[in-house]
Amino acid sequence: MGDMPIWEQIGSNLMWNKIPHYYQLFDNDRTQLGAIYVDTSCLKWEGQPFQGKAPIVEKLSSLPFQKIQHSITAQDHQPTPHSCIISTAVGQLKMFLLKNISNAWVYTNDMFRLALHNFGCPPLSRHSRCFFLPPLPSAIPTPPDAPNIMHR
Amino acid sequence: MGDKPIWEQIGSSFIQHYYQLFDNVRTQLGAIYIDASCLTWEGQQFQGKAAIVEKLSSLPFQKIQHSITAQDHQPTPDSCIISMVVGQLKADEDPIVGFHQMFLLKNINYAWVCTNDMFRLALYNFG
Repeated sequence: MGDMPIWEQIGSNLMWNKIPHYYQLFDNDRTQLGAIYVDTSCLKWEGQPFQGKAPIVEKLSSLPFQKIQHSITAQDHQPTPHSCIISTAVGQLKMFLLKNISNAWVYTNDMFRLALHNFGCPPLSRHSRCFFLPPLPSAIPTPPDAPNIMHR
Repeated sequence: MGDKPIWEQIGSSFIQHYYQLFDNVRTQLGAIYIDASCLTWEGQQFQGKAAIVEKLSSLPFQKIQHSITAQDHQPTPDSCIISMVVGQLKADEDPIVGFHQMFLLKNINYAWVCTNDMFRLALYNFG
């Protein structure tokens, strides 16, 4: 992994380590997912918008399934103009924007979509995921409740 | 459309414009990218307007048609707009296939440009 650009390394680490951790929380205790969002976080779940840690956790906690079976078919990572990192995963249609706050990666944006089109398709959840990680803030003020939930 | 948040209005307009260009005259897509833009096309990385337009222009189909199933837009912490599209496409006489695409839009000199673009076909390792 040493030859990969830094955004690929960070993105890959998120995909293969943090996301399984995310789904572990998701399967076992969704109320703990609050630690990875901040009050400026936005979630869009199947087109429904939610903003802020509490509404997001409430939505995720109230989803009517116990577990989510997922598999990542492909993942992509890119640097963005503000030295952030954006990552997507296909297989799972879920998009996150991640921001580094106080040395930890938190989700500022999160989008989930089931890829159901207007013809019959197998009953497997297809959703893609995207991460957006901003740089260590110099001008961006640190929110008082910024969680340190992701450590390499 | 007046009741939609501004980022949804901008995002949807961009999406509509992008796929209209792509389906009809994709050599003109250069206008929406800048030299700092990144494209990941089915895992291949391209950087800069010229490289991106070259890639898109050289895709091996004559006809292409996109149909959007769903699109989502959100504002980002640094005043950009992130858009996610799920849809289907048909290239030439190939079977219809699903796709996912993500765009990051930035306002530069009062115009919205695409700084990041990631495209994946919805192909899975199962029947």
